[in-house]
Amino acid sequence: MARPTADVRLRRLLAMLGWLARRDGASISELADRFAMEEADVVAELELAACCGLPPYTPDQLMELVVEGDRVEANLGAEMARTRRLSAAEGFTLAAAARAILAVPGADPQGALARALAKLESALGTREQVSVQLDEPEMLGPARDAVASAAQQRITYYSSSRDETSERVVDPQRVFSSGGRWYLDAYCHRAGGVRHFRVDRIEAMSPTGETVPADDRPDAGSAVPPDVVFEPDEGTPVATIVIPASARWVLDAVPIRSLAEERDGSLRVELAVGGGAWLARLLLRAGPGSRVVDPPELADEVAAHARALWERHVTA
Amino acid sequence: MDKLERLTNLLLVLLSAERPMTLDEIVHTVEGYPAGKDARRQAFERDKRILREQGIEVLLEPVPGSADAQGYRIDPDSYYLADLGLSDDEQEALNLALAAVRVDEEAGLDAAWKLGAAGPPSGPVVAQASLPSTPALPVFHEAIRKRTPVEFVHRGARRRLEPYGLLFRDGFWYVVGRDRERDALRSFRIDRISGVPESVPGQTFTVPADVDWRHTMPAEPWSMGEGPTTVATVLVDPVYARTAEVQSGSEAVSERRSDGSVVLRLPVVNLDLFRSWVIEMVGHAEILSPPELRADLAAWVAPLAGVG
Repeated sequence: MARPTADVRLRRLLAMLGWLARRDGASISELADRFAMEEADVVAELELAACCGLPPYTPDQLMELVVEGDRVEANLGAEMARTRRLSAAEGFTLAAAARAILAVPGADPQGALARALAKLESALGTREQVSVQLDEPEMLGPARDAVASAAQQRITYYSSSRDETSERVVDPQRVFSSGGRWYLDAYCHRAGGVRHFRVDRIEAMSPTGETVPADDRPDAGSAVPPDVVFEPDEGTPVATIVIPASARWVLDAVPIRSLAEERDGSLRVELAVGGGAWLARLLLRAGPGSRVVDPPELADEVAAHARALWERHVTA
Repeated sequence: MDKLERLTNLLLVLLSAERPMTLDEIVHTVEGYPAGKDARRQAFERDKRILREQGIEVLLEPVPGSADAQGYRIDPDSYYLADLGLSDDEQEALNLALAAVRVDEEAGLDAAWKLGAAGPPSGPVVAQASLPSTPALPVFHEAIRKRTPVEFVHRGARRRLEPYGLLFRDGFWYVVGRDRERDALRSFRIDRISGVPESVPGQTFTVPADVDWRHTMPAEPWSMGEGPTTVATVLVDPVYARTAEVQSGSEAVSERRSDGSVVLRLPVVNLDLFRSWVIEMVGHAEILSPPELRADLAAWVAPLAGVG
């Protein structure tokens, strides 16, 4: 691994010294864990810091750090133990993270986090200037309970990309909020894999009576990035469409494979398709001038959706 | 000599300096600077830049008692935060929040380090969330704290705003404040702002005591903006009824039908956004009135339906 640059090392060293100054010592392995470093690097950085201090650099003016075996003893004084001022990005991130957790339904508005945030805001001089609102779908509570008790569930789920409602047996793994929506990650027995279910699209949920211990669950992997609608895989169909240049915005967060400009300025796009209804939604929003070039079965499905919408609105 | 050693010594020396130190004094006190005048000036400027990137401001001030000498120091008050006095459970709660919520990963880790909360949390993570992050957000946050007006370009138009707060709703961040030109409370979606906002230097503002910026935003995007308002009624089928009601607010519901569908009354300002919202429900929503909006949607989808 390449050696980190001086600025990264300085930031890490100051964090480590501050942390050490608040206690008398620590094991090298704990420092390595906390600051995500190799143990040998921890020792090297501490030995370097032990040579730092104030002029005339006599031993009484140097930082007192003694590495012995797998421990370091530290006596760094009260100044070093003080908390460093937060940068704008750090202050914002901390406030946003705390506000997000406090916005989770069921959070204690007078609990430890709320108290910590109040102290922090008064020290930073920022009084409640960030507000995070998370939605509370009806099935959020049951979904979180199901995860906590590892209880297998039978769910009725509406898939918007296919515009169909189905029943599935799932093993809940975790609940998370991304891009303002709540998701339930669960192993789906029908799909044979882990899927992200939008909690507000779960219409009903009931335990099957089975429990699925955490060790038996396949890894849920990382969260869906907040701006991606679905994750295409090899089985995902691909379509070619044309949309007017003015409708380029509909391609935000869409898994595009290629994009070319037509002679008249419109856009020819090859993209992975989440489902017939999903593609219809995209083209209908793009509006007049858009069409499915290929494959024909998706073109038919989009036309059927358009026709249904037209029939509901055309006035005889 | 390791550059980190020079940097650490420089920081300690400037932080404990009782009076500003000239560059000459610094290079004679802190080891490791090159000999040549230009080379050591360059090396010192580089160190200063690294410190600034860590949020550590090196001040340049006149040296007291000298005619024109300038010297450097770091103000301990700007380097340290006032003692937070966090109890152990409060410390742990912040640690958990930083572990559970992904905003700006690097800044989150640095904040955890500074607060002494680094490392895996010991308690269970009850919920996880990820919020989008952009470089503009900390700039607004800082401007709100300092009460300084900001200028930015939002959807092509230059705005001057006295920012009151940041709001995350329905997947997006908004900055809310007083628009100086319009002299009215406005909100702007931050991902629609180009680049990073600029602070208007030398100016400050006050937030009126009676302003409630958290509740000044209309709930639905199609009712935002300027222009005449049209009231539309929309029938939403059961599969989307709950989502639509959450988005519009329960006060928008004018009728609940026995099959689970709802009729919503909605103020529409932005027709494009309204049309897109109806389309999102792929045939599970119908505009009941007014006739112009029904006709607009029919005409919009007719070519794709093969009837245009």
